[in-house]
Amino acid sequence: MHNKYSVINTPVHNVDGIAKVTGRATYTFDVQLPGMLYGKILRSPHPHAKILNIDATEALKLPGVKAVVSGKDTLGIKQGIWRRYKELCDEQVLPMDKVRYIGEPVAAVAAVTEEIAEQALDLIEVEYEVLDAVYEPFDAIKKGAPEVHEGIERNLNVTRHIEWGDVDEAFDDADYIREDWFKCGGQHHMCMETRACVSSYTPEKRLTVYASTQAPYYTQGLLAGVLGMREGDIRVIAPYVGGGFGGKFELDGAMFCSAVLSMKLFRPVKIVFTREEDLIASKRRTPMFYYVRTGVKKDGTFCARESRVFTNGGAYTGMGATALYLTGFFHSFPYKWRGYRYDGYRVYTNTMPSTSMRGFGAPQAMFCSEQQIDWIAADLGLDPIEVRRKNGHTPGYEVPGQAFIGSCGLDQSLDKIEEWIKSRGKLPANRAIGISAAGFMSGGIFNWFDTPYSFSSAVVTINEDGTVELHVGCQDIGQGSNTTMAIICAETLGVKVEDVKVHSGDTDHCPADLGAWGSRQTLMAGNATKMAAAEAKRQLLEFATAKMGPNIVYDLDIKDRWVHLVSRPEKGLDYTQVVKEALRGKEGQRIMGRGFYTPHRKGMISPAYSYMVQAVEAEIDEETGKIGVVNCVTAHDCGQPINPIGLIGQLEGAASMAVGYGYLEYMPFEDGKMMNPNLVDYKVIRAPEMPECEVIEIDTFEPEGPYGAKEAGEGLTNPTAAALGNAIFHATGLQMKECPILPEAVLNAFKEKREKEQEKKNA
Amino acid sequence: MIHDFTYFRPGTAKEALSLLAEHKDDCKVICGGQSLLIVMRQGLVATDNLIDIKRLEELNYIKFDSTEGLRIGATTTHRTIEKSPLVKEKYGVLVSMENRLASIQVRNWGTIGGNLAHGDAAGDPAPVLMALNASVKVGSAQKERVIPIDDFYVDLFETALEQDEIVLEVQVPVPAPKTATCYSKFNLLSSDQGIISVGASVTLDGNACKAVRIALGNAAATVMRAKKAEEILIGKTLSDALLEEAGQAAHDECEPVADIHASEEYRRHLVKVFTKRMVKQAWEQASKA
Ligand SMILES: Cc1cc2nc3c(=O)[nH]c(=O)nc-3n(C[C@H](O)[C@H](O)[C@H](O)COP(=O)(O)OP(=O)(O)OC[C@H]3O[C@@H](n4cnc5c(N)ncnc54)[C@H](O)[C@@H]3O)c2cc1C
Repeated sequence: MHNKYSVINTPVHNVDGIAKVTGRATYTFDVQLPGMLYGKILRSPHPHAKILNIDATEALKLPGVKAVVSGKDTLGIKQGIWRRYKELCDEQVLPMDKVRYIGEPVAAVAAVTEEIAEQALDLIEVEYEVLDAVYEPFDAIKKGAPEVHEGIERNLNVTRHIEWGDVDEAFDDADYIREDWFKCGGQHHMCMETRACVSSYTPEKRLTVYASTQAPYYTQGLLAGVLGMREGDIRVIAPYVGGGFGGKFELDGAMFCSAVLSMKLFRPVKIVFTREEDLIASKRRTPMFYYVRTGVKKDGTFCARESRVFTNGGAYTGMGATALYLTGFFHSFPYKWRGYRYDGYRVYTNTMPSTSMRGFGAPQAMFCSEQQIDWIAADLGLDPIEVRRKNGHTPGYEVPGQAFIGSCGLDQSLDKIEEWIKSRGKLPANRAIGISAAGFMSGGIFNWFDTPYSFSSAVVTINEDGTVELHVGCQDIGQGSNTTMAIICAETLGVKVEDVKVHSGDTDHCPADLGAWGSRQTLMAGNATKMAAAEAKRQLLEFATAKMGPNIVYDLDIKDRWVHLVSRPEKGLDYTQVVKEALRGKEGQRIMGRGFYTPHRKGMISPAYSYMVQAVEAEIDEETGKIGVVNCVTAHDCGQPINPIGLIGQLEGAASMAVGYGYLEYMPFEDGKMMNPNLVDYKVIRAPEMPECEVIEIDTFEPEGPYGAKEAGEGLTNPTAAALGNAIFHATGLQMKECPILPEAVLNAFKEKREKEQEKKNA
Repeated sequence: MIHDFTYFRPGTAKEALSLLAEHKDDCKVICGGQSLLIVMRQGLVATDNLIDIKRLEELNYIKFDSTEGLRIGATTTHRTIEKSPLVKEKYGVLVSMENRLASIQVRNWGTIGGNLAHGDAAGDPAPVLMALNASVKVGSAQKERVIPIDDFYVDLFETALEQDEIVLEVQVPVPAPKTATCYSKFNLLSSDQGIISVGASVTLDGNACKAVRIALGNAAATVMRAKKAEEILIGKTLSDALLEEAGQAAHDECEPVADIHASEEYRRHLVKVFTKRMVKQAWEQASKA
């Protein structure tokens, strides 16, 4: 790949890497404040019950207990990130009168030690009136089912409709139509750092909150809303964050309860979820039932698709409304459909709410779509790669009424994966390769929060010695965004990465930004950073031009701390010297650049889209149903890579999560109770199970992205489960319609297949 | 949250046993803590006194003698066994078993004595040791005794240990000539405990099976012998039909319980598959021995 850049596309270790590996990095979990108390949350044992009375008398008698709060100590405001839409703000973090899932917070205690706080929980007496509960969307949607939220008919929380083209006519044109039902499970975000928060309210009527959050600005805004405060009186500090994966941009119990307790006591209160609390009460990937009907021509040309989805929404909306939309949109990806119709139904149930998680509905969509495409290809005797090539997105394509596709490396990705598959030669029995294509948004254009701020902002300030302060509101949650921003800033300004100090994760000192979700930071905060750095550079060059006095038709630039004439790079000035002198010339005013990014006229979803084709090589033990994933190879178009090692980290992290989703991670519930709320029984991929994860970068340039970059990290979770399903299909002929694909199900499918074959023989 | 306790760290086994005799009604022995700490954190075990035997060097040994066989002291870690050239040479199956027991971190702390005493039917060492016809030497302040491992497990998480006894040593006899032992577990993550596991030891006389011991892990409340399957094999020569019959017998005689990881029927099926595989593998190895 060409490298016309000095910093971009050169491997850079994370700017916070040393602090992390030496243990100096302070996570919320590590925060200790003088006079700090410890909070614990009492949780509902019932999936659905009225709260009749809460008696904390005995708990308050326990020495060391400082306060107990419940819904009636709060303003009772129903909150949610969809602030524009009141009906989707449906969650009181401490409910006033009713609990809707097992694990829902009911009361919170603050005490001088964690042990005392925990003991106090046992002393709080809650009187419940247990109500009938409902757990599955197809039960909850029935007439007469228990109402999770009063007055919401058939428990229908949100519906979404997407349609383009004349769908029925396009189906009429099809030579072959296939329909299938699929079921995709939930998945837990499994952040290394569980939900954690330290809140400190002081007599100045200001609240400081240390929170493990993906979006400090959202935390600030949401807290202001539920506490009846001004946003500006709340400071949210997100020190280091131990993972988010889509599960940490809503208001959580740790944040809300610690804030309410601290406001009552004027003392800092810390709440850290145990792993079990995190598992049962922090939301999850949305479980989905998918009906997919697809019509194609004999030669594999796609005509129409019609899909219906029913999701298990759990007790509250969370980010589920967006997941419902995005699953429907990405279910069309990355193909051109003459007619496309999608109807999504999000149904409330008495289970832990479902929400966004890495991929935001797309992994489920791909599991169903991409497997069905392979089955159709097999039904018609077509090559699955050829079918994808025939129908895939191309640069400049418009998804009718939805999206404009700029750069698109799908075709090249298919070529590269085809080559890789060929290079594997003949595989042993019960082993095969399956592929899946996918794409993803590169920055969600969603302003549900209805903020008047730009989506991303950045401020670049240059110190007299040439070092740079970069203030951004985007949040580093381990994905390396601070490093990405440092690289973009250094590249733009013409300095070295080590010259840039990145400041993020503090709403008092950093400009607002919507945060780390929707694969938005590289593109949006990256553009804001680039703009801010370019503005600062412009001021320096103004001075340098005056000083060097070239003909004004000549351009000046800075590279590697050298201010020079573009046409004669040897002619120039030392960057640090220029900074010093420029300051003098400005009466000491700092050189400062501001940048922002807000999308306009970029379609409904995103300014740009990443593309990829992934091949998963898997082997299946026919006697036990066990699946082993050998290879997970991705041809990946993420535009211009910013940091090659960061990219590998994202790719491997995504693979571990997505392979886990494919055959391992699942959340069984019985009567609303999660059956495996611990890391012994909830299985997560470990090092020995990690497949080889080769990546083949596809060289594209995205005009909307900073230096041509697009998202790289979230979208990579989309194709894997589907590709694994296809590998199983090609190895065994089994069509696995439920995700995760568990060995017992594979074994049963084998049995069924054998019985069917036997029947055929007998007939 | 872990219940508060008084912590004792005796310097000798003798001291440990007298402390145990003194506190036996309310006390727990801790060795590597890899199992105990989990249940203490979960609040399933709350004790006022904890006796730490981890540093009893006198119980940390691996010895071999061509008549007595192998002796492993109770405080020997999994990792030490795994890395022992002696064990590798004489009882290779123990090394391959240890290799897949948990992670290196856990193996560095967890001990053979603690593992056996914990009495988890899903533990790895017990079925292998049962296939190897091992015994467990236990002792109290009063006396020592040797319990065949077949009799060591009484019920779910319950062993034949008296309240004032600890495990001192594992004893593995010298295998008969033309004997091989194999072990494998079925799991989705290679370092997990088995959804089921099977250990099989086959001794041949010419082409025929002279003796066989099959032990099933996590297929009942305790590790168990698959005696019906064994009976089927004795005196026979190897064939697919024979393996199928023995596997089916193990399938029928085990008593697995369903949980979220596997139904009862699936567990039985896996017992059958792994019984067939392990017997076959041991048989083939024995014939080459
Ligand atoms: C993440 C993880 C994964 C694991 N995976 C596996 C696995 O795959 N396979 C497997 O077999 N095990 C596994 N284990 C369990 C673990 O390896 C063993 O149970 C452990 O080795 C027990 O040894 P310990 O020394 O740590 O015992 P401890 O935890 O200290 O004690 C366990 C029990 O034995 C008692 N005890 C300890 N020593 C003695 C003694 N000498 N005499 C009498 N009683 C005693 C204690 O009182 C306690 O009841 C796993 C554990 C963890 C944490």
